[in-house]
Amino acid sequence: MDLIDRYLNAVAAQLPQDERADIIAELRDLILSRFEAREEELGRALTGDEQEAILHEIGHPLVVAARYRKGPDSLIGPELFPYWLFAVKAGLLLMLAVQAIVLFINLVGGPADAGQSISQAIHGFIGSGITLIGVVTVIGAAMEHVGYRPRWMDRWRVSELSAFGLSDPAAWGAAMGGTRTAKATWAPRSLGRARGWPGGEYLFSFLATGVFVLWWIGAIHFPGLIRLGPPGAEALVTGAPIWTTLFGAILLYAVAQMAVDLASLARPSAVRMRAAAQAVIAAAGLWLTWTIFGAGHWFTLTRDGETARIAGDWSLLDIDRLRALGDGTRDLAGMAGTLSLVMSWVLALSAIGLVFKIVGSLWRLVQPDPRRTA
Amino acid sequence: MIVDPELFESMRLELRRGSLVLAVLARLREERYGYTLRQALASDGLEMEESTLYPLLRRLESQGLLTSEWREEEKRRKRFYRLSPMGEAMLSALADEWRGISASLDKIL
Repeated sequence: MDLIDRYLNAVAAQLPQDERADIIAELRDLILSRFEAREEELGRALTGDEQEAILHEIGHPLVVAARYRKGPDSLIGPELFPYWLFAVKAGLLLMLAVQAIVLFINLVGGPADAGQSISQAIHGFIGSGITLIGVVTVIGAAMEHVGYRPRWMDRWRVSELSAFGLSDPAAWGAAMGGTRTAKATWAPRSLGRARGWPGGEYLFSFLATGVFVLWWIGAIHFPGLIRLGPPGAEALVTGAPIWTTLFGAILLYAVAQMAVDLASLARPSAVRMRAAAQAVIAAAGLWLTWTIFGAGHWFTLTRDGETARIAGDWSLLDIDRLRALGDGTRDLAGMAGTLSLVMSWVLALSAIGLVFKIVGSLWRLVQPDPRRTA
Repeated sequence: MIVDPELFESMRLELRRGSLVLAVLARLREERYGYTLRQALASDGLEMEESTLYPLLRRLESQGLLTSEWREEEKRRKRFYRLSPMGEAMLSALADEWRGISASLDKIL
């Protein structure tokens, strides 16, 4: 096999089957023409090195074959690249924020080793960051490959651009926790003038619910949550069967809330759509609260072989009993009684809050669209 | 002020890129195969790498702007390209556009 065949075989291997023979025949003619022209100039046959030099000039087989490709030349093309970059930057900042919150809770919750928690947070961020970049790149490459162009690339509205502040760490800090001076210094001018970044509320809700979901599915742990009581006399807390029964429903509820938060970040002006979604989610929350309350048994405390149930019913929703909160005995049964009362009232107040949320969302739903009245 | 040679080369290539299609179409009013087309363009002062020219010819053909035919010449089979009727119309339209751009730039420069 001579140099030309070797070169053309390397090119052919990169070409589509249906065009391969045609392209290779044309390239062979080109190479032979180049060789002949050079031989005519020199008045003699070419040496191997001289032939190789001409093949070098024509180009590396991978590059030559790539020029014949009909699809995109790059994984993420120049049009999609700014969107890809935004998704990666915002996603990484989100991952960083989640890891920071988890780390903070772990440190406050009394982990066995703070150094280990910090190391886990760094590893978690690097691992999730690489996964995020990979997933975003695969999605972008697939969009490039099939030539898919989402509507939001062309049909965007200025009022829906606030989520793009997500890729700026200064905007996060200034919007969520910064002082007025910090906002004026670090936030973009429009953010500094506003009373607060509207996305901050949804972002916080998204992150907080995200941490809950991670804890709920067992991805993160808070050691302090499973033991209650004074040091040395702690009781082990175990969940009642109702939590297992409602595991999927509660997970779905939290994920739906995160989806609404994310949609609100992307389109803060879509007030009515958000109100409709929040009304449905709040109704689901009310059903969950009612079912949990109706189960009557929520947790069990165990200490030294002794058990006591954290349980309740309508009879505990009594103001006189609430006034007597803290008067119970200090033993396991007394602790369970106090917690039963607290849990009953927490569930009742949550239900009232959810009713108000449903009414408020429905009210916003029937109001005229602010974008039309503006 | 000294012009940065690397920056100049990159901007020069950018400037030439669009005009090469016009040059290829214009040169293929007359039937040619790849190698002689490249030589003709080079003699016009428009050097073009083979790895750019040959895929460009295939693309223009798939767009219906060129027709091609395999024929034997000098004891070897060669692929000859020529402007199609659609290619002629496109060349005319692009040439008008080019003259317009050139006239506008001449006024500014």
